[in-house]
Amino acid sequence: MINVRSDEPEYAFLWDKQSKTHNRYGASIETVFEADELRDKSLDINDDVGIGDNPNRYKQHGFFLNIDNCIGCHACEAACSEKNDNPAHIAFRSVGFVEGGSFPAYQRLNISMACNHCDDTVCLKGCPTRAYTKFAEYGAVLQDPDICFGCGYCTWVCPYNAPQLDPVKGQVTKCNMCADRLEVGLKPACVAACLGNALDFGVIENIPEGRSQAKTEIPGFPRTDITHPNIRFQQTRSTHREMTRTDSTPLKYHRDDKAGMFKPAVDEKHGRERYWNWKILLSSHENAHAIFTLLSQAVMGAFVLLVIGSLFGSLAVAAPLQQLKESSAWLPLLGILVALMGFGLFKLNMHLGKPHRFYRGFYNLRHSPVSREIAGVSLFFASLSGFALMSLFDHKIAHWLVVLFSITGVLGAALGSWYMYKLYRIPARPFWDHWQTGSAFYETMLSLGSLLIAVVATAINGIDAPLLQLLAVICATGVALENIAHWFHARDLKQAGNEGAAAHYEQTTTFGKTYRLRNALLGVNLLLLITLAAAGASMPGLIATALLPAMLLLAAYTSRILFYALVIPTTMPGAFFWKNEGFVEHARETGLAEMEQMGVVYEGHHKFRLDELLQTIREASFKEMRSQFARIFTG
Amino acid sequence: MAHEILRIQKTYGRDSFAIVSTGQLLTEEFYTLGKPARGCIGTNNYDGNTTLCMSSAVSGYKRSFGSDGPPGNYKDFEHTDCLIAWGSNLPEQHPIIYWRMKEAQEKRNFPLIVVDPRVTMLAQNADMHLAITPGTDVVLQNALMHVILDEGLEDRDYIAANCADFELMEKEVQKYDPVSASKICGIDEDTIRNVARLYANADAAMSIWTMGINQSTHGSDGVVGINNLNLITGNIGKAGGTSLSITGQCNAMGTREWSSCSGLPGYRVLEKPEDSEEIDKFWGIDAEFFPKQRGLTETDIFPAIETGQIKGLWLIATNPMTSMANTERIRKTLEKLDFLVVQDSYADVETTQYAHLYLPAATWAEKEGVFTNTERRVNIVRKVTDAPGESQADLWIFNEVAKRFENGSKIKFPQALSDVFDEMCELSKGRLLDISGMSHDKIEAQRGIQWPYTSEEADRGVEPPAGGKRLYTEAGTFRYADGKAKLIPLPFIDNNEVPDDDYPLWLNTGRLVEHFHTRTKTGKVGNNKYSPIPFMEINPDAAQELGIVHSEYVRCISRRGDAVVMAMCTQRVPENMIFIPFHFHDCVNRLTLGLLDPHSRQPAFKQSAVRVECVEDQQATAQMSMEMRGF
Repeated sequence: MINVRSDEPEYAFLWDKQSKTHNRYGASIETVFEADELRDKSLDINDDVGIGDNPNRYKQHGFFLNIDNCIGCHACEAACSEKNDNPAHIAFRSVGFVEGGSFPAYQRLNISMACNHCDDTVCLKGCPTRAYTKFAEYGAVLQDPDICFGCGYCTWVCPYNAPQLDPVKGQVTKCNMCADRLEVGLKPACVAACLGNALDFGVIENIPEGRSQAKTEIPGFPRTDITHPNIRFQQTRSTHREMTRTDSTPLKYHRDDKAGMFKPAVDEKHGRERYWNWKILLSSHENAHAIFTLLSQAVMGAFVLLVIGSLFGSLAVAAPLQQLKESSAWLPLLGILVALMGFGLFKLNMHLGKPHRFYRGFYNLRHSPVSREIAGVSLFFASLSGFALMSLFDHKIAHWLVVLFSITGVLGAALGSWYMYKLYRIPARPFWDHWQTGSAFYETMLSLGSLLIAVVATAINGIDAPLLQLLAVICATGVALENIAHWFHARDLKQAGNEGAAAHYEQTTTFGKTYRLRNALLGVNLLLLITLAAAGASMPGLIATALLPAMLLLAAYTSRILFYALVIPTTMPGAFFWKNEGFVEHARETGLAEMEQMGVVYEGHHKFRLDELLQTIREASFKEMRSQFARIFTG
Repeated sequence: MAHEILRIQKTYGRDSFAIVSTGQLLTEEFYTLGKPARGCIGTNNYDGNTTLCMSSAVSGYKRSFGSDGPPGNYKDFEHTDCLIAWGSNLPEQHPIIYWRMKEAQEKRNFPLIVVDPRVTMLAQNADMHLAITPGTDVVLQNALMHVILDEGLEDRDYIAANCADFELMEKEVQKYDPVSASKICGIDEDTIRNVARLYANADAAMSIWTMGINQSTHGSDGVVGINNLNLITGNIGKAGGTSLSITGQCNAMGTREWSSCSGLPGYRVLEKPEDSEEIDKFWGIDAEFFPKQRGLTETDIFPAIETGQIKGLWLIATNPMTSMANTERIRKTLEKLDFLVVQDSYADVETTQYAHLYLPAATWAEKEGVFTNTERRVNIVRKVTDAPGESQADLWIFNEVAKRFENGSKIKFPQALSDVFDEMCELSKGRLLDISGMSHDKIEAQRGIQWPYTSEEADRGVEPPAGGKRLYTEAGTFRYADGKAKLIPLPFIDNNEVPDDDYPLWLNTGRLVEHFHTRTKTGKVGNNKYSPIPFMEINPDAAQELGIVHSEYVRCISRRGDAVVMAMCTQRVPENMIFIPFHFHDCVNRLTLGLLDPHSRQPAFKQSAVRVECVEDQQATAQMSMEMRGF
């Protein structure tokens, strides 16, 4: 247990005498009841086997922020970073602000925010490696960076930007509630350091002495229905109708008098001018995701088409595909599918913070769509490889295995593609949280899948008009679907008025020209596909054939990088420099980021540490491996 | 070093070598510096950089009460019934004192009035915010007193027992009726009356202030004005009633008390022969060695270098290349020196580029000693780690320098810190700042002791109180010969560079919570990230008119020079004003005029006129701004 200093001031000690039984969402505040096996266990902090004597050890705790009092002095952040020994670019707690009114009736509301140790832990459920645990002790949500492989998915799903992905170390870390301090009855370091009497901490729903409210809404704080966060606010001073953000995010908060709360609204910060901004798009860290999703969807689409083609080979409509199977293009096509899929997976894996920990991606099958996606895609890749390999042999067993692999391959593609879509349905990212994400993904399977087959077949067999016409119809179906879906997406985003609408604003301004190009391509491509389908091997058909590969690829790639670049999460407002995306970008562009004390670092790629992988394999006993494997299914 | 100093002094006279020290050292070190400065080198041009921050407070206290020494303490927040903060933004400048104030306010909810041209966090959270026109505090003060006297709200008994020259002051104050005053200071007449009544009728009312008052052409007058207001309402020397200057540097008080800048140790002055004599004897040097009156202040030393009277300079823990007004002028000035010594903990402090000699010094916690805070509390820093590299404690450096001079052999230089402290105790006996009852261990055990605490009290076994000690609690105990405080009339002379057609905006400068002074310390650590590059607060309406875009670089131009900053559009400032933090090198002080206060010689950093221009080439400007952030 940590030492309590002899002169520790009174304000540093926890104060809860009583507590309620249930929180406002109906969840029990007592985390585990007496005699539960999770009771009386050590938290093993720094190998300390002691068990704290805090009487409220098994009650859900949370932060309390009196926003009337926060002066934005950063004492909480400094105390936190000091205790957790964090470098300048990492902060478990940050202070941002919203402002409103006009001089001198000006108001700035500082908001100090760390992890809210939510009831509904989206981070825990999202993490594929099971690095997260919701503890019976204090209801703390703790994350173990030694397990994490640095995919950053928790940072996508958290509505409050609590988990911090360190681009240097390639791992996530986050607020640990200062559980070591709670064990000895002390408040977390940030709270004890607060100079404005703003930050407090205790059993959730308890209101500190001298405070009157325990609200869950303040301007700038994201919606609470996603996770039921364990934070409460006091904010009694009247605010202005409109509170704005100083950071580059095109959002403000507008008071909805009927609802009695602030709602996010688009703040058209940089006017309506349209730009290309290719540089930002092409240098995006998420390019690995764009390449992986496009390639895997193309390959899965192509494979499924081929399997369906051979299944219905006897039907006239599928005949060209059946003929393709019997042509000399078949084996090269399969080889290319394997190679592309392999490359996509490689890109994705190497984009992890700790790529040598790739095997941990399956650990959270029980909750995480990422784990399920990885499982599905892996099943697909294994089946595809087996399928391709067995296709080399002309033997009964090989034929039989080809059938088996086509079944598992389609199953893998179905699971993989479904969870690939599901994992983007993140409530904290409204731009993605729309059915259009799914339609776009399946559209890619249809369009790029057909394109892939068409290109390889044509390259080897020459123009095969019936095949191209069939593929053009399939592809056109996909492109038509995407055209319709984009219309609905844009309409729904605009209506939502939230972070999604802000993303749409960026889509039509910052990337406005790129967006228009993408839309134009979608329209033109549809026309070209129809031309090809109708005209076959005639001149218009041939022109369409010549144009389509590049056009389809350009449309797909533009669409996908926009998808990643545009998303605006429901995070806390930043400050003018710190936690301001605009400044981060500026610091990286100008080289300011090279100064460590700027708090901005460059995105980097991380080595595949084979030595670490081998060491893990050597040091893990078979029993440990087995139990780890079992936990994939048992949770 | 000694050789060079002697050479310069031999050629150009004893006062041609100047010393500018700081508020950063420990008090024993300040006291010891006095020995080489006054006793060995013997220059009369020895001052501290406290001239940039606290000299107006010192001067105001001296003029009103006959001596420096803030009369109140932090406990006064717990007793006051009305608090006015004049140009003081506690949450950013003094967050820990802010916490003391906030604790008290949450318990008793006294009214807080903030006088500040900008909506600071304190102003925003105040019960009343008086957004005053820059540089017109004296007008507001006179108007408040006008209302108090006009309505008979003054404390006649207190004035009779404690104050001199009431009629002189009253005559001046009569000129400032609220209606006329409101036209100058920008605070409407009703508010003036309201505040005056509130302050005068409160059982106990106090005023705190910082650079908003001090850094002005009438800084000293502003302090006197606050003192006047408190004296006529009987708010000095009582619980919750005081004039409390919130001190800038960590040990600005220590340097005021003991450093011999502008005088001799223990609030002694050169102008009093008996003061000089005491120190002569104590140090064992020739009675005629000390000058008969105070020499130049820091802000006058630089012009004297410019004009060639001063040829050598020893800078101790101060960075005029960033902190002084009109950087380009200071740059040219430093270039003219025959010999510049820079003594600092940071080898890369901007001023070292002009240094002929750099003395690496230890910082706090690498050495031991005491310091004094705003409420006259003496506290101790223990050594927790060794100083890196070749750096030495400043005390060691001062002793070594002194040894190389003739008088160095006459003066005792105790090596043990406690012996230095004992010398100070001895010299403090019977004076306002009597610390003779204190010792290092006692200070640590008590977690700081407020002066006065006498050896006589200690011998009697009287323990120092935990806090709450005040000065001037008895009637007629002010430090003037007659025991009375002076009520000084304050005519308002508008000599500021006010905005005009060419330079239409007020330039206000100030502090950010995340940076300390010229960023020698805070520019290198993580909290730098909260404001890593210089920026300017500008009203969005003004910005729109000028075509300035939020987060883009702009160029600010004054009659002195220009500066590049990033624009932050915020309604925190009025349409006719911009605010730029002062911490950054080659930035806002390239613009400031820094007219000097006639009494304190403190520069008016906060009142200049500028214009702002858009910058076409953002890339190049970003590059330039970045280059200037190198260390």
